[in-house]
Amino acid sequence: MTAGSSTGARHASPVRRARKIAPWVYFLIAVAAVLVLSAVRVLAGATDLTSSGTVQAALTAAVPLAMAALAGMWAERGGVVNIGLEGMMVLGTFGAGYAGYQWGPWAAVAFGLLLGVVGGLLHAVATVSFGVDHIISGVAINLLAPGAALFLSKLYFADAPGGGQKQSPRIADAPKVTVPGLSDVLGTVEGKHWFFVSDVAGVLRGLVTEVSLLTVLAALLIVWSGWVLWRTPFGLRLRSCGEAPTAAESLGVNVYRYKYLAVIASGGFAGLGGAFLAVSSGQFRDGQTGGRGFIGLAAMIFGNWRPGGLATGATLFGYTDALALRGSAAVHALLLLLGIALVVVAVVQYRSGHHVLSAVAAALGVLFGYWYFASDEVPAELVGAAPYVVTLLVLGLASQRLRPPRMAGEPYRKGQGK
Amino acid sequence: MRRMRGLRLAAGALALGLGLTACGGSDSGTGSGGSTQASTPASELKIGLAYDIGGRGDQSFNDSAARGLDKAKSEFGVDIKELEAAAGETDAQKEDRLRQLAEGGYTTVIAVGYAYATALAKVAPDYAEVKFALIDSTDAKGANIENLVFAEQEGSFLVGVAAALKSTTGKLGFVGGVNTPLIQKFEVGFTAGAKAAKPDATVEVKYLTQPPDFTGFNDPAKGETAANGMFDAGVDVVYAAAGGSGNGVFKAAKAKGKLGIGVDSDQYNLPALAEVKDVIMTSMIKKVDTAVYDFIVSVKDGKFTAGEKVYDLKAGGVDYSTSGGKVDDIKAQIDDYKAKISSGEIKVSSTK
Repeated sequence: MTAGSSTGARHASPVRRARKIAPWVYFLIAVAAVLVLSAVRVLAGATDLTSSGTVQAALTAAVPLAMAALAGMWAERGGVVNIGLEGMMVLGTFGAGYAGYQWGPWAAVAFGLLLGVVGGLLHAVATVSFGVDHIISGVAINLLAPGAALFLSKLYFADAPGGGQKQSPRIADAPKVTVPGLSDVLGTVEGKHWFFVSDVAGVLRGLVTEVSLLTVLAALLIVWSGWVLWRTPFGLRLRSCGEAPTAAESLGVNVYRYKYLAVIASGGFAGLGGAFLAVSSGQFRDGQTGGRGFIGLAAMIFGNWRPGGLATGATLFGYTDALALRGSAAVHALLLLLGIALVVVAVVQYRSGHHVLSAVAAALGVLFGYWYFASDEVPAELVGAAPYVVTLLVLGLASQRLRPPRMAGEPYRKGQGK
Repeated sequence: MRRMRGLRLAAGALALGLGLTACGGSDSGTGSGGSTQASTPASELKIGLAYDIGGRGDQSFNDSAARGLDKAKSEFGVDIKELEAAAGETDAQKEDRLRQLAEGGYTTVIAVGYAYATALAKVAPDYAEVKFALIDSTDAKGANIENLVFAEQEGSFLVGVAAALKSTTGKLGFVGGVNTPLIQKFEVGFTAGAKAAKPDATVEVKYLTQPPDFTGFNDPAKGETAANGMFDAGVDVVYAAAGGSGNGVFKAAKAKGKLGIGVDSDQYNLPALAEVKDVIMTSMIKKVDTAVYDFIVSVKDGKFTAGEKVYDLKAGGVDYSTSGGKVDDIKAQIDDYKAKISSGEIKVSSTK
């Protein structure tokens, strides 16, 4: 308890309070962002920056990341660090492969969720009941899950028609929806390449054309998680277990039960992320997740352990990833965009008194701007690194505003508050 | 006390995890080898084969090697042992795999893929009586190593010709799995072929990952995104030299009504790609199966020769496929180039 109260005192000291930001400010920021994007597109001639195809690709890439980030948020809000997300995603991809080729995409999603829950349960038993260090348990799951998935895939897929020892047969894709009429109108406007108008049309068209129902489901789950955790008594109790479990216990909350629920939900969401990945790829493949669980964790931190933030983080990562894969001209334009963004960050930081940070951001911004104008393209070897560089920069510059759940990762034993 | 128990459990879980990973990574050791050895005549060939990442069932490169092995097995009834590689493994793990085969009495060992070069260079000198084949690389040489290499640029040249002739926009795409010298041979040949058939054709090139990240051969989602980007930019034929990621390229082509070109195997006829096969206009076939089979036959007949053996277009090591009938109308033109390359009239460079 002493540890808890001392950290509490530190945080209670008169630090700047974050101002409450009104919804219309977010809207203005979004408009400004599209304006800048549009200007860069015209200047660099990189139409792909705001094309509907890029937005579609970004959404598809962002969904598994957002699910992993959501999974991390559920666990950490309940006070358990879940570094085993990657492993749970792998379990999800296998579950999706197993059920998907036999009974279709929705069965794939259900089985992915189920196997993710199994992974979550394992983590919950280890960390909550037995008090194992959260990191150790998570790493163990990351080692265990790919081995288990490979073992099972050899067992079930090796002799299936169209399958192999390391891949499942084909999974049918989930249905995709297009808003009729609107998509075509926006397509026409997008094709004109007008400043700002076409960019907005391109982004909107990407959001209403050929959208997988899985993407819609993922968006609903993010909203639902926000509602459950921040608008219901259940959510308040769950979050109290991550902030001050001993205090929660003294008020009659069954902390173990809530931690179990949080970690199991976490496993379920990670499994869903894996399932979405497998279904949208059309099959399970060994090693398919490729570190997406860890990137999801970064998206969660970027999003300040909140649903809106982590969705933004996942989208940002999906967007840079889509650009990097679709064409190197757009990545070159990204340099300029990054330079502008960094200068904006520098101004904001300067105004709020962080002079050192502001100077670093400004210097980096100028550097990126110079790089853009001094070169014609980004070397292919660096294009693939673009998403990581962007994430790293954003994380580095935004970290002083972040506040993790206070007791996430700390051991908690029943009755320790007495 | 509680803390201690927790730690012990964690250690247990970790050990279990490592154990299972190890099981998954390779088929269980030489346990079964002992019993078969006793029941087969001593003159019988024992063949070990170490796969590259993806392994049997990758619908591509490794499957081709597996077909050669299966053919040899069904014809001569040889005793075989197959071991699989895992993504992101080290040279030491590859070395262990080759040693495991050599120690297990497998006197003929085939290492599938250039990734084995470093490991084989270390292992081969220790087993002078074992005959090794290394596919796709000449980086490991020795008195008991035969290097089986292919002229991928020549086969890619032919599908480049086909792509340029079939394209209506004159814009072609190349999706490479990982940016390695080997995959660059495919790109160079493809571009050369396209330009030969249509001098104003352009080729958009995208490698999914950069080494040492080899996930680009195994990520259909990335293949799909890259191909979609090309199709949106006006490309109408994409050559997928990306192993398992090629599935994503064909999926994108199918959704957008464009064409794709397969690699290594005749991908039109692969069961796993049955649903997208109508967009696969042709495939650059690399006859790893022939090379593997020939190698086994040469060892069986006592005609093993160390050193480089090139499977080029002339030797029938690479070719293009006609399954599906999508290139029937331009077959004469492609075969014309084929004859010119075979006769040496056209030389296809393997580097940029």
